[in-house]
Amino acid sequence: MSEAVIVASVRSAGARYRRGGLSETRADVFAVQVIKGLLAKVPRLDPNDIDDLIVGCAFPEAECGMNLGRVLAVGAGLPEPVSGMTVNRFCSSGVQSIADATAKIRAGWSEVIIAGGVESMTHIPMGGGIFRPDPDWNFAAMPNVYINMGNTAENVAANHGVSREDMDKFGMESNRRAYEAIKAGKFKEEIIPVTAYKYKKDKNGKRIRTEFIFDTDDGVRWPVNLQDMGKLKSPFKQGGNVTAANSSQMTDGAAFSLVMSAEKAKALGVKPIAKLTHYAVAGCKPEEMGVGPRYAIPKALKLAGLTTKDIELFEINEAFASQALYCIRELGLEDRLNAGDINPNGGAIALGHPLGCTGAKLTAQLLHEMKRRGNKRGIVAMCIGGGMGAAAIFEML
Amino acid sequence: MSFEIKKAAVLGAGVMGAGIAAHLTNAGIECYLLDIIPFELTEDDKKKGLTEKSPAWRNRFAANGLAGVTKSKPASFYSKANASMITIGNFEDDLNLLADCDWVCEAVVENLKIKQELFARVEKVVKPTCIISTNTSGLPIKDISAKFSANLKKHFLGTHFFNPPRYMKLMEIIPGADTDKTVVEYMAKFSEEVLGKGVVICKDVPNFVGNRVGVYDLCNAGRIMIEKGMSIEEVDAIVGKAVGRPGTAIFGTIDLVGIDIGTHVAQNLYDAVPDDECRDTFAPTEFAKKMIANKWLGNKTKGGYYKKVKDENGKNVKYAINWKTVEYAVAQKPKFASISEAKKWADSGVAVSMKIAFNGDDAAGDYLREYMCNNFIYAANRIPEICDTIVEIDNAMKWGYNHQLGPFESWDAIGVKEAVEVMKKLGKKVPAKIEEMLAKGCASFYRKEKDGSKSYYDFKKKGYVKLKENPKIIILPELKERKKVVKENAAASLVDIGDGVACLEFHTKMNSVNADMIQMISDSCDIVNKDFWGMVVANHDQRMFSAGADIFAVICAISEKQWTELEKMVAGLQNANMKMKYLPKPVVTAPAGMALGGGCEMAMHGDYCLANGETYIGLVEVGVGVIPAGGGCKELALRMTEGIPAGVVESGLNMQYHYGKAFENIATAKVATSAQEAQELGFIRKGSIINMNRDMQIYEAKQIVLGMSKFYKPPKPALIPVMGENLRGVAAAIIANMKAGRYASEYDAHIAMKIAHVLGGGICHEGTFVTEQEILDLEREAFMSLCGEQKTQDRISAMLSTGKPLRN
Repeated sequence: MSEAVIVASVRSAGARYRRGGLSETRADVFAVQVIKGLLAKVPRLDPNDIDDLIVGCAFPEAECGMNLGRVLAVGAGLPEPVSGMTVNRFCSSGVQSIADATAKIRAGWSEVIIAGGVESMTHIPMGGGIFRPDPDWNFAAMPNVYINMGNTAENVAANHGVSREDMDKFGMESNRRAYEAIKAGKFKEEIIPVTAYKYKKDKNGKRIRTEFIFDTDDGVRWPVNLQDMGKLKSPFKQGGNVTAANSSQMTDGAAFSLVMSAEKAKALGVKPIAKLTHYAVAGCKPEEMGVGPRYAIPKALKLAGLTTKDIELFEINEAFASQALYCIRELGLEDRLNAGDINPNGGAIALGHPLGCTGAKLTAQLLHEMKRRGNKRGIVAMCIGGGMGAAAIFEML
Repeated sequence: MSFEIKKAAVLGAGVMGAGIAAHLTNAGIECYLLDIIPFELTEDDKKKGLTEKSPAWRNRFAANGLAGVTKSKPASFYSKANASMITIGNFEDDLNLLADCDWVCEAVVENLKIKQELFARVEKVVKPTCIISTNTSGLPIKDISAKFSANLKKHFLGTHFFNPPRYMKLMEIIPGADTDKTVVEYMAKFSEEVLGKGVVICKDVPNFVGNRVGVYDLCNAGRIMIEKGMSIEEVDAIVGKAVGRPGTAIFGTIDLVGIDIGTHVAQNLYDAVPDDECRDTFAPTEFAKKMIANKWLGNKTKGGYYKKVKDENGKNVKYAINWKTVEYAVAQKPKFASISEAKKWADSGVAVSMKIAFNGDDAAGDYLREYMCNNFIYAANRIPEICDTIVEIDNAMKWGYNHQLGPFESWDAIGVKEAVEVMKKLGKKVPAKIEEMLAKGCASFYRKEKDGSKSYYDFKKKGYVKLKENPKIIILPELKERKKVVKENAAASLVDIGDGVACLEFHTKMNSVNADMIQMISDSCDIVNKDFWGMVVANHDQRMFSAGADIFAVICAISEKQWTELEKMVAGLQNANMKMKYLPKPVVTAPAGMALGGGCEMAMHGDYCLANGETYIGLVEVGVGVIPAGGGCKELALRMTEGIPAGVVESGLNMQYHYGKAFENIATAKVATSAQEAQELGFIRKGSIINMNRDMQIYEAKQIVLGMSKFYKPPKPALIPVMGENLRGVAAAIIANMKAGRYASEYDAHIAMKIAHVLGGGICHEGTFVTEQEILDLEREAFMSLCGEQKTQDRISAMLSTGKPLRN
């Protein structure tokens, strides 16, 4: 078996839903730029050696449709033999693609794969443009796979006793950490600046397309105060506690990693950063999909024969404060959260959760932070709509 | 000279100015909204990087005015989309924009010098035919225009709106001495027909007509309260609905206006009318002064004569001022035997209940006699000082202060002679012209003539003068007196409104739909088909076109298990509506006020819906546990999908958003808050003309009938593309979320699924084209099935007993 290693891992900055920097730019357009940026980090690689491009996307339609993987491969100017495919496991799609790439390389079926994720939540609605649940689905008797994510977060908060105050504090801390991280320039290395565009009117009232460079996460809200956060109402449930301030932001973005066999890296003289050693997914109740990581993380650790003590850094996606906090507590990791070993640079509440891109985005964030800290092992984990969790264990090389 | 206002400008973006601009856009007129530049950059501005050159800073006042009016409650715009018809700016950079305006309306601060200087600059940029007006409520027109050029004087007048401009009908027009007659005539016509206002032509005297008589009315109420040592709650309990006044009565109204503004206007008046026999009444009261000092100014400061405070259980508790101590105490709910008695007669009309209240032999009666007699005498003494006839004063009080009857109409209701006797008993000085009128044997201010027309008593001519009839105002009761009824029953009448057009008028309680009404719709169709060019469906009810089905009849049928009869009644409404729709003659429905449930369905089944701007329309059946079954689901499905080009559905058009809207409208009982919003929601076809003046609605509807009748063909039977069972899937997923979020009960969900089944076209494939009858059958089936359910019956019973929907 050959070893699969990650030699580069990058992302676009996260752009706020509708008002952010990528709101009018097509997802394929900014994704192609991130891919080009990724390849520019490994100039010794001959594009003809790339075997496949795997892209995760939660709602692969419209500009992300038509097999986005192939569209991006061709769109990025890669040679004809470079194939492309799209994978969908909702919120873990981005890391699923990296895991799939790793597995293919380990099996010896591929040598070099570009893997990542893309999402434009501004352009493609959650649920997709054509939402067609089964009219005969028995909602009374069967799990609700179509449930709105906000409702699942309310369920986790209510059924597992996560208080409003704790959720709001968690949301506030996420923003604080993200603000500090951006101020310290921590994301500079992992972010590929992209040329984005917006439509405007010029001085004469003529409609035009104006380009600009988008290179900084634009969803962070700081300063915020708990009092104002406490006043927000839940849009999901009457008298509920899940609000805009303690939920992930809807975001547009793209992130990719370059995975290749260890032999290839050596032959090219490229220094590997890390490897994905283990990956696990686990199902749970769709109505409480947020609990997923609580099952997926132990499952992945078991595969690796490790415990949480062996993991120095976690990126646990903050789909909602309720579910993230619940999972952290169930795994006995609250001290680690406070110590800054979990989401040290803020999470999705501040930086955004571009669904299918998130897994690849968190991978880029995790690997760069581990490098800064000199860590050995880290985990990327998230909950998944429909009732699942995913966890990937990375080891620095 | 001929004028046509297509573009206007409002100068001054305060509450009034911005409100006027908003209403202009409601009437379809684009306008500029300009104001001054802020005085200086604040620290906050500097932090934001603003400079004295930034448009965001220079236009701030106008921008704030526009933002305020966009958020105001009740809404100033028919639709928020209208805000895009307003261009904001400032007096320094943008005055040249006025060059293409046909009307410039000034509503800046009430300061003579500021107004004069502004107009001097305005004159330099406007075109010579531009009409210029001031919205002043306190400054003399002659002083503002003193230094104007001759041309400007010709085009200048006062146009005094009442707040809020969208809702208050009164528009006072105050010509200056040199104003061109054609300008006055045009603005009166424009105000009535385009802005939908009721015009009162005033003399250039302090506070004009409405605020002279109206402010007296309010001050008078306060003075008598003090004299009699009564409380504000008592006064408001007396001067309320029983005597045809708005629910806010006296002090609630002042809270609405603002105690500071009310006091300021009264003080102005006090200063301006040294010879007024009641001048002292206008002097501010001690308690009002104290309240202003405390900044207890009314609703805008969340506390005036009344305020609401949440108690420890989160319940609203109403407090009222004790004017003797100027301290708040929990508001009392005083009861007076005479007022309670008067209210029992509400259905007989306000004239009857007012008379009962006036003659009450309790403290309320004592108060009312003193208060109303003062009002009557004051109003009579103002002619000819402020206007020439009683009609202007009555109209001003009805349109500007929401009184159901003006002072002279009220006086008629009580009896002119009877009131004069009371005045004498109370030691009041009866105006000589009233004594003279009675001596002449003229016993009332208004008189109905044999031909159905109306006359009023003219003090100058000392006799009755015919009220000027406007041919554009068709009044059904007058036509009925003139024997123009073609057919009638207890529920509705078909009236000949001339030129070969008939009007179907409803007149049940709340114009609810019952078997008689359905019968009349059907009969009227037959008659109109034979004898008329077409039909208008409209009525004069102040509040509603129709509140929907007679649910009392429905619950009776249910409790007696008369299922066949009930289904027949539903089918009857469906058939009557379809008959109107496919009548070989044009039918124009003309709703105004509420058009709910069955009322909405009737309004939807004409060839054209000429709704009044203030039409509150929606399919609200879920509130009583049923679904629209008079063709409402069918017609909404049709309207959501008409206009889709041939072949597009077949190509796989995703109709989820079309039907999502239809489903939302019905499942959440959405009610449009204006005719324009009704077009946005799909209850009225886009592009339909909106009637602005309710009085002219029947006339305008008639013109549309006549126009259409020249080359009329009934619509072709429609085929409606539906989503089939897939709509149920979409709806079920949405409802599951709403249920989880406690936004929908189990039974709400049950009804919602029925709606999805009907709108989906039943059991069929997505993209199927179904006939209208297929959906009508589904409507009826769902309606009948819901009527058999206990929870629907509970909802109907609750609505009948509480007037509010039950969520079970």
